[in-house]
Amino acid sequence: MLGIAGVLVTALIIVIKEVPYLKRKKLKREAWAFSFLLLFAIGLGIAISLQLNIPNPRNGLTTIYKPLSELLKYWIK
Amino acid sequence: MNTVKISARQFALIVIFFSVGSTILTIPGGMTQAAKQDAWIGAILGTGISFILVFLYITITKMFPQLTLVELNEKILGKWIGRIVSLCFIFFAFYSSALMLADVGDFLTIQILPETPNAALQILFAIIVIMGVRLGLETLARSAEILFICFMVLFIILVITLLPKVELENIQPIFESGKPIIKAAFLYICYFSLPLVVLLMVFPASVNQPKKAEKNFYISILISGTILLCLIILTILVVGSTLSAHQLYPSYALARMINLENFLQRIEAIMAAMWFITLYFKMVFYFFAAVIGLAQTLKLNDYLPLTLPLGMILVLLSLLVNPNTVAAETFNTDIWPLLVSTYGLGLPILLLAVQYSKKNFQRNKQQK
Repeated sequence: MLGIAGVLVTALIIVIKEVPYLKRKKLKREAWAFSFLLLFAIGLGIAISLQLNIPNPRNGLTTIYKPLSELLKYWIK
Repeated sequence: MNTVKISARQFALIVIFFSVGSTILTIPGGMTQAAKQDAWIGAILGTGISFILVFLYITITKMFPQLTLVELNEKILGKWIGRIVSLCFIFFAFYSSALMLADVGDFLTIQILPETPNAALQILFAIIVIMGVRLGLETLARSAEILFICFMVLFIILVITLLPKVELENIQPIFESGKPIIKAAFLYICYFSLPLVVLLMVFPASVNQPKKAEKNFYISILISGTILLCLIILTILVVGSTLSAHQLYPSYALARMINLENFLQRIEAIMAAMWFITLYFKMVFYFFAAVIGLAQTLKLNDYLPLTLPLGMILVLLSLLVNPNTVAAETFNTDIWPLLVSTYGLGLPILLLAVQYSKKNFQRNKQQK
């Protein structure tokens, strides 16, 4: 619960800090990218604090590079 | 967006900090594991190969001197493939900065602040990283100039205070291990020079004397190679190859050995400032490359709004990347070398090959 509160408060601070800047400079594309990234961050943060089973990029990278790494190990022992 | 320019000297200092970066903390351990007391030969070999890599990087920047790596991807590989490659590269830079942040948190909790939760330290460190990126390239470059003096003073203190502790037997017999030296050299390059591809986001587009900066690129590789060589030799001579192979952070163990006449001792925490400076610059430039790269891929004019959400994701990702120390070690020795080679070696060669064949194709067409 505390984790979720922390994530939401951080997101709120970021919105308060950035949105006036985006409005003042009339940055449309930037605003889209900003909100997409922020939503992603909030989702990730809540998922982590609820200890959900998130697909870890580490496992993906390991799956991709594992065959090559074993080959390399064989070459330079 | 590319109005900020840094001088060739500032760029040289950034290269030094970036290549010394996390290498200084972790590499003596991995290298002594591979090649025992001959790890230092691997470092010399690795620095030699690094010159070839720098030559490769400079060659690809010469094709379009005004573009960053992400723009270069789009120019050479075409709009869509270029963008996909750029996104992969951005992910690599971002993931590396998360790895570095996790490294900093682990280092602090294991060695200095065992009671503090990892996340608190990572958030604190991430805040200064985001601050650096928001203030921009010029601020970072100037702070590099100031902090370089601190770094060198600490480094010289470290070397001088450890000289009385040197035991020459530790390094003998020389050339005993043979083939594993190559493995050690490969590991060294993976931390030392292959990540330098990230700096192609800054060089040469944001450097105001490109010709001089090219020369400085080589010189700074030489300087940082010497710094690391000194450190690795000292680790072997003072701590010994067996002991340092079993340490998670051998150079911290090295700083612990400082003891001048039972008077000057336990100054390793001050010495740790050296690591923080270099780690900071490495992380900041990974993150900077990811932010700038994303802004350029999405064709944004202003990268500032991206920094805070990306910084939040950075902290969250760094909590995920290393579930435990053993997993971190296997990732560092098995997967990381291949991951960094894909972007540090594969991407430049791909760009060169595509550009070369394009040119040839056009020439053939004209002749017909």
